[in-house]
Amino acid sequence: MSASFAPECTEAKQKYDDCFNNWYTEKFLKGKSMQNECEDLWIEYKECVEANLVKKGIKPMLDEAEKEAPFEKGGVPLDNSDEKK
Amino acid sequence: MVLWYKNSHEFNYDFQTVSLAYFNRYPNPFASHVLSTDLIKIKIDSEGNLHQTKLIAKTGRLPKWCKPFLGKVNQTWIIEQTIVNPILKEMKTYTRNLDHTGIIRIEEYTTFNYSELENVTRSETYVKFSSGFRGFGIKDRIESWSHSKFDENLKKSRKGLSFVMDRFKHQKTALWETK
Repeated sequence: MSASFAPECTEAKQKYDDCFNNWYTEKFLKGKSMQNECEDLWIEYKECVEANLVKKGIKPMLDEAEKEAPFEKGGVPLDNSDEKK
Repeated sequence: MVLWYKNSHEFNYDFQTVSLAYFNRYPNPFASHVLSTDLIKIKIDSEGNLHQTKLIAKTGRLPKWCKPFLGKVNQTWIIEQTIVNPILKEMKTYTRNLDHTGIIRIEEYTTFNYSELENVTRSETYVKFSSGFRGFGIKDRIESWSHSKFDENLKKSRKGLSFVMDRFKHQKTALWETK
């Protein structure tokens, strides 16, 4: 399991990842759950990550990128007529 | 300057194994340059699709000719967005670098589709290299670099993904089916 960019968040991340992997395969993909059952672990991990995103100055760059919504056109790049190989 | 590359692949694994491996593809022996991955956002939309945004940190993978302009920068941030449609067994992924975009912007769009009939998951990848960078001979250098980088990176990421898939396939019984 990979580490968090902020070492202090790695433990919370790995606990969450374990929970997510289990929920994703056993519940979500099987259509048994439409709700993230790892919410509590996610909140704990998220708080840690968000504080560190601000601390390390990554947040503005990330917010900017999220505005782009690459999937709005169905996840297929539309402006790919320039050059293709 | 914009360059597009396209590539398709077939994985001999079911959708669960492929998508789970994608989410957990780091670390793997073919991606020693990946330092960390973090979940930034997760939501399930009204149609039941799972959306996730992740932040990935990699060590300096920029071309040598960038060095004079970047100085000592040796880390890159990547944003990854994914959508899983559990009914269609389809996953769409998008990644791009967050920093150094003035020099080069590398965007990757991949769609994974599972075929129940053949029990394989097919992927189709489009990569877009764009650069507004101007300078003598730079365009040619970016072009040849991105071309070789595309092949090299794709091979490596596939190897890494297959490695993780194999591991999951063997673990699945022990880890998940007994829970």
